[in-house]
Amino acid sequence: MKEGDDVTSNSEEPRSPIQEVRLGATRAEGGTREVSYVIGGWRDLPFTGNRPDRPLVALEVCDDPWLLPPVVRDYVGDLADNPDEWARAAERTYGADLVRLNFTSTKQRGFSAFGEITRTMERVLAATTRPLIVEGSSEPDLDSEVFRRCGEAGEGERLLLGTAEADRYRSVAASALAYGHAVIAQSPIDINLAKQLNILLRETGVPRDRIVIDPYTGALGYGFEYSYSVMERILLAAFAGDADLAMPMISAPADTLSVREVREAAEEDRDAMAVAWEFYTAYSAFVAGASIVCVHHPLTVKKLKEALEA
Amino acid sequence: MAMKALDIYKLLPKTNCKKCGYPTCLAFAMKLAAGKAEVEACPDLDPATKALLGGATRPPIRLVQVGVGERAVAVGEEFVLFRHEKTFYHPPGILVQVSDTWPEEQVRSIVETVRDTVVHRVGMDLVLNGVAVRNESGSPDRFAETVALAGGGSALPLVLIADDPASHEAALAVAGHYRPLVHAATGENWQDLAALAKRYGCPLAVRAAGPGALAALARSCADAGAQDLMLDPVPGSIQNYIAVATGIREAAIARTEPALGYPIYLDATRFREIDAALAAGILKYAGIIVAPPLSPATVTAALTLRQNIYTDPQKPIQVTPGVYPINDPGRDAPVLLSVNFSLTYFTLLGYLEASRIPCYLFVVDTEGLSVLTAVAGGKLTATLVADSLRNFGVEELVDHRVLIIPGYAAPLSGKIEDATGWKVMVGPRDAAELAEYLEKEWVA
Repeated sequence: MKEGDDVTSNSEEPRSPIQEVRLGATRAEGGTREVSYVIGGWRDLPFTGNRPDRPLVALEVCDDPWLLPPVVRDYVGDLADNPDEWARAAERTYGADLVRLNFTSTKQRGFSAFGEITRTMERVLAATTRPLIVEGSSEPDLDSEVFRRCGEAGEGERLLLGTAEADRYRSVAASALAYGHAVIAQSPIDINLAKQLNILLRETGVPRDRIVIDPYTGALGYGFEYSYSVMERILLAAFAGDADLAMPMISAPADTLSVREVREAAEEDRDAMAVAWEFYTAYSAFVAGASIVCVHHPLTVKKLKEALEA
Repeated sequence: MAMKALDIYKLLPKTNCKKCGYPTCLAFAMKLAAGKAEVEACPDLDPATKALLGGATRPPIRLVQVGVGERAVAVGEEFVLFRHEKTFYHPPGILVQVSDTWPEEQVRSIVETVRDTVVHRVGMDLVLNGVAVRNESGSPDRFAETVALAGGGSALPLVLIADDPASHEAALAVAGHYRPLVHAATGENWQDLAALAKRYGCPLAVRAAGPGALAALARSCADAGAQDLMLDPVPGSIQNYIAVATGIREAAIARTEPALGYPIYLDATRFREIDAALAAGILKYAGIIVAPPLSPATVTAALTLRQNIYTDPQKPIQVTPGVYPINDPGRDAPVLLSVNFSLTYFTLLGYLEASRIPCYLFVVDTEGLSVLTAVAGGKLTATLVADSLRNFGVEELVDHRVLIIPGYAAPLSGKIEDATGWKVMVGPRDAAELAEYLEKEWVA
């Protein structure tokens, strides 16, 4: 290597790019969002070359705070009971690129308030100008109705709808196809299962440019290294030309703020520990190749956005 | 370029004389190819062959040790770009910087913090690795005094940061016998610093912007007798660090530029977003990271990330199968089936301990696979559950015969009832919902 050589172009073979996926729809695109994003389209290792998109940070809000980690509950206060206000704050106060609306109410035993799903969708869509990630139910018995309502309420908005898994993907896929949304395809930290699910979705009719891979992210210190490496492997498979693994990735760790280190931190250190834990997990996911990371603590959003500019 | 074992074998005597310590020449060739043996171990090679093999079989990144004794940190000797290709071997040392312009008390307190900080995780003690002393006073004497205050290197490994060779000379008179890392040789001072590093047998960091300039400087210093080098690429941003470090690592392991085959030095104090700098260094190839004094949250998260990334991916962390009592369970406590994937185990443990509900966690051997993967892959079966119940003596622990299985294992519930004779209850899929599930559903 001579002085002035490009430091990143050592690899010999040309790489295939990551599939482009559009999220959100502006008025011109048939929706009501003020921005839409195209993620993917790059072919260099993260942070080593040019890329047309930028890594996106999503903040999760939910319609029922019953599963909310106490550290978030305490920080957001009354917002936890008002998903639309919370979503507005996520965007305007905390600076999230995307809002991830998690319908945690559907995880309550005996859930049947389907009408509320539609109302919450409408309120949150009205409260935000950014594209929306929507996490529907995780019960096969509820999936069909919940995803139909989420999809219908967001028709034209090109939601990112989750979550499809190997044993329950049809309802999500059907809603995405009927109402024009993209789908999160989650597999349990396994590159082969990720590929398999993408093929299943494609056979159902979901085109490649409407799939985002969620390889499942374990919390820092609780198996995160498996997720980190599976993301790198998926990325390299995509670069090598495997079109069924070339979709952009989302990293959405569910348990990062429930870990012992955060729970047992001294009261005055708890927010700092929560943010550190989420930050290291999320930033590492970007380095491994995630296009979107989803976090729970509002302060993590700001810190991540500053880090991405550093 | 790296040579394959068979190509190396062709150049060996093929006498299987065992003088190298390996049973056959082929076994020796395989060790050489893996960078795990020294060419010198073979007494029957001519110098030309030795030189040829030596260049091709030494580790692509030199192992460099900073400090001495128990807390010494050795970095380098890495072989891959991605941890899943093999593993990363030598976790980066994180050293906390003090300035020779700071009051004595402040320096002393930081040194004590670095010495005493321990994060206990999964049976391991994670520590910070040492202290970096920066010469900001401009005075060689002041620098040497602060180096002495930092222990002189006898207890904790040190980095000596100064541009002026006179400052290094003064500091090395104090700490030179403890292998401090001398930082940094530049285009201006490299002759003096390489001579000092050689005289004291200390590792030396070279500093230049970009791989080309770094390689040239490293070659000059190596030729001048300073063998243990590190590379400080002076990144302009954290993202630039990732790009440059990746380029250096690629060139080193592909052996396209042997003068880049040294560990990378990252000065994280240059960046405002210290957590991002630490994460970038840990993930992407840093050997030594110099950081400002760190908050407890940063220390815990950074050391945990380092532990995660440097875990051998070929050996998944598994927990030992067995019955784990949680919250002091009695004979009416619920028994919860789970698997020996550490992520699953620790997640469950966290929630269950927080719930304060007494119970038994009944962990069966799925070879480290998660519930979902184990069910899909046939590693979690009714037979395994029945055998484990018997082998772990679960029947002797509780009076009831009810087993709670993970939500993801629901398809197995009937078979488990048949195989064990226990009544099966299907629990939630998500560990977060377990506490509420137990409160509502568990009646002993």
